[in-house]
Amino acid sequence: MEIRNLKPGQRAALHTKQGDFECVVLESPQSGIILIKLDSGYNIGIREEEILDIKIIKEEKEKRGSEEEIKIEKNLPNVALVSTGGTISSRLDYKTGAVKWLNPELFKICNIARIETPFMKASENMGPEDWEIISEKVAEMLNDNEIDGVIVTHGTDFLHYTASALAFSLGKIGKPVAITYSQRSSDRGSSDARLNLVCAARFAVSDIADVALIGHANSGDEYCYALPATKSRKMHSSRRDTFRAINAKPIAKIYPDRIELIDKYNPRDDKIKINAKSKFSEKAALVKFYPNQNPDILDYYINQGYKGIVVEASGLGHVITEGKNNWIPKLKKVIKSGFVVCAAPQTIYGELQPYVYSAGRELEKTGIIYLKDILPETALVKLSWVLANPALKKDIRESMLNNFAREFNPRISEDEFLN
Amino acid sequence: MEKAEVLDYAKIGFKSGLEIHQQLDAGKLFCSCPGFLRTEKPDFEISRKLHAIAGESGEIDEAVKHEASFDREFIYQGYNETTCLVELDEAPPKFINEEALDIVIQIALLLNCEIIPVTQIMRKTVIDGSNTGGFQRSVMIAKDGCIDTKEGKVRIKSIVLEEDAARIISKEKEKAVYRLDRLGIPLIEIATEPDMKNPEQVKESALYLGDILRACKVKRGIGTIRQDVNISIKGHPRVEIKGFQDVKMFIPTIEKEIERQQKSNDKKSEVRKAEPDGTTTFMRPMPGSARMYPETDLPLLHISRGRINNLKANLPKLRKDIKEELKQRGLNDEMIHLIVSENKVEEFKSLLPLSKDANLIAKMLVLWPKDFSRKLNKIVEFETDVIESVLDAVRKNKIGISNVQDVLFDIANGKKLEDAMKINNINLDELENFIAILIKEKPGLSIGGYMGLIMQKFKGKISGKEIADALKKYVK
Repeated sequence: MEIRNLKPGQRAALHTKQGDFECVVLESPQSGIILIKLDSGYNIGIREEEILDIKIIKEEKEKRGSEEEIKIEKNLPNVALVSTGGTISSRLDYKTGAVKWLNPELFKICNIARIETPFMKASENMGPEDWEIISEKVAEMLNDNEIDGVIVTHGTDFLHYTASALAFSLGKIGKPVAITYSQRSSDRGSSDARLNLVCAARFAVSDIADVALIGHANSGDEYCYALPATKSRKMHSSRRDTFRAINAKPIAKIYPDRIELIDKYNPRDDKIKINAKSKFSEKAALVKFYPNQNPDILDYYINQGYKGIVVEASGLGHVITEGKNNWIPKLKKVIKSGFVVCAAPQTIYGELQPYVYSAGRELEKTGIIYLKDILPETALVKLSWVLANPALKKDIRESMLNNFAREFNPRISEDEFLN
Repeated sequence: MEKAEVLDYAKIGFKSGLEIHQQLDAGKLFCSCPGFLRTEKPDFEISRKLHAIAGESGEIDEAVKHEASFDREFIYQGYNETTCLVELDEAPPKFINEEALDIVIQIALLLNCEIIPVTQIMRKTVIDGSNTGGFQRSVMIAKDGCIDTKEGKVRIKSIVLEEDAARIISKEKEKAVYRLDRLGIPLIEIATEPDMKNPEQVKESALYLGDILRACKVKRGIGTIRQDVNISIKGHPRVEIKGFQDVKMFIPTIEKEIERQQKSNDKKSEVRKAEPDGTTTFMRPMPGSARMYPETDLPLLHISRGRINNLKANLPKLRKDIKEELKQRGLNDEMIHLIVSENKVEEFKSLLPLSKDANLIAKMLVLWPKDFSRKLNKIVEFETDVIESVLDAVRKNKIGISNVQDVLFDIANGKKLEDAMKINNINLDELENFIAILIKEKPGLSIGGYMGLIMQKFKGKISGKEIADALKKYVK
């Protein structure tokens, strides 16, 4: 029998140069190597050329489908779930839509009355079109009289972009929208998904009618934060408590069994119906300014048909204002031609203030829009949203500077740095 | 059990296998933290929970279910300087420690195993809290080896490299406290086939395996080795007894366990703990293969032929081989014992080219320091270069062999090396002897004339004043 006929799941007897093995064939992560599971549970690899003979003992075990049904407890609130992919739903059985990856504690807080899986994507593969799909889905669920709150599960890397997109597109909402994630996959006993989902459920049935990121507040498994959608950012490549409020406070501490409020919030009003503005433009870009950067980079985006850009400016809002790479002439020219240029702080924390230095005052005159203390990622999503909505596009400067979803904090306090 | 009732092990179908876990003397297996235990107050504590999860097969392992039945809170203690995000389960493993891998390959080669050229790091589900991730990382490195015992061959089933678990500090019903200093220290697991036919053979095998381990770079001392024994007799499934600290307890514990199995009505496969009194107590159900799934954060592990050959060419010698070698050098048993037990074999060998007298080297290295320690009431140990200098002086006849002990004593007593050798290298008898002969042979010279000749002979070993003093006795 030939090697190419070996299929994952089969039990086989392999006669190899390394000895004889009775084993289960596995999916191999490397070509040219047959990965097998020994009866001890250990996996080892055999190079294909070392295999002398193969005998199939048993064909692939049929995967057991899930018999679990969604149960509804009448006295519990109803929550809808939008699952979009990422580590948190890595255990989701796509075919059966089984809920076995959801932990049992969740069902003590609420019914998962509806589950929608519009797509399964790693968050780096998402874009404006996906934001629109998620937004439409959430809006429809929020408008469902049977639903008390919504949970969105999402990959972590670009979760804060989607959170901002929902905050802008949904507008004023009357029910909670929790968006949550996991940094440790659900296939390990230590998965953070467990607490994040329970706290997301606790938030979804609360009176806090905001879009909020729900995730570990620290490395422990005691409580989560509800973070403001437009003022949060992924700040660590791997920690559970990766999302932090920037230039803002968390809205609340969420324990599995209670909520402790920290900041102001929008109270629940179940009667509010949403008319979501879910369109986002693909023609908005984000660039980070760096020393000696040639302003011709803007020509690239203009030539590619982009309508606007967010520049992560340095310090209080600067780019090069003298010498061979002076940005001022270029900015004047492109802005005059109708291209939108916004500035957001690359320091992440703090607010832009162009009037402190003469260079900033010069830049201001070019027509660049200084977006105060906005997060660069939130600025990109906002620009994408403004460019796709005719009503907002009429006066882009005014729209970009309007505080739609708490993306600007007019009063940054001492405790809103590295918290 | 009385002598009269000595068990017929063949008759009861006794079969036993060993599983030995030994810490390796290397940094942590999957991060850059050092691998040592700490006693100071921890810098931080983190509270976590763990949950039962199904393995690759979709089933939850029996042992995992057992652990999950306690919904405990786990407190992890760490230190800013020696605990990183990897131990905290806040960052993926960085790599596999190459030094630890080399040590395991060496041990596997010494146990005549076949090294597995392509292997996969696994996660073994453990949710008693001793691993922050809810699993222990473990990788099979070698298989199919064997050792010889008086009663026949014992096959080695597998050699596994894995990370040690966190250290338990306290355990209550609802809360367990663990310290992360031990989590991630590399461990070798050696598992034999159930080839041992009686407790005596189990003990012999354990001692032999211990000998091999100590020949390699492993940690020493209490808690660095853990020995488990698998036992089965006819009519009772396999039982694993964990946590033997002392090889002496093997035979009594095994005998008591057989007695228990023979009397027990509840014949189930389980893991039991070896108690200091030789009895065993229930720990948990026997874990199965359902608790193993791949560590997807690291690629497949390849062990090249070149690496194996390189390690094979530089295998450490076993204790018994070393002893034999020392014997052939002419050392007596006492000296051999001292050199081996004080870990001075390498130093001893490095000094051999400096002297033909192996016993002298051994005395300088291990015997006299012991004597001096007693006399001076302080710990005496000589640096290799001190011993080298003294041996060199002996070789160049600057000091006699009979003076060596005195020279070393003076050094031990605080004298500088040069001063100790200067004073002790003059044999005044020898000087006076020379003077007497000189005067006989060349009578009538002036004091200055004699001085010149004597200085020529004893240049640098003796001061002019000492020569003059000696001369005055013979020349008036």
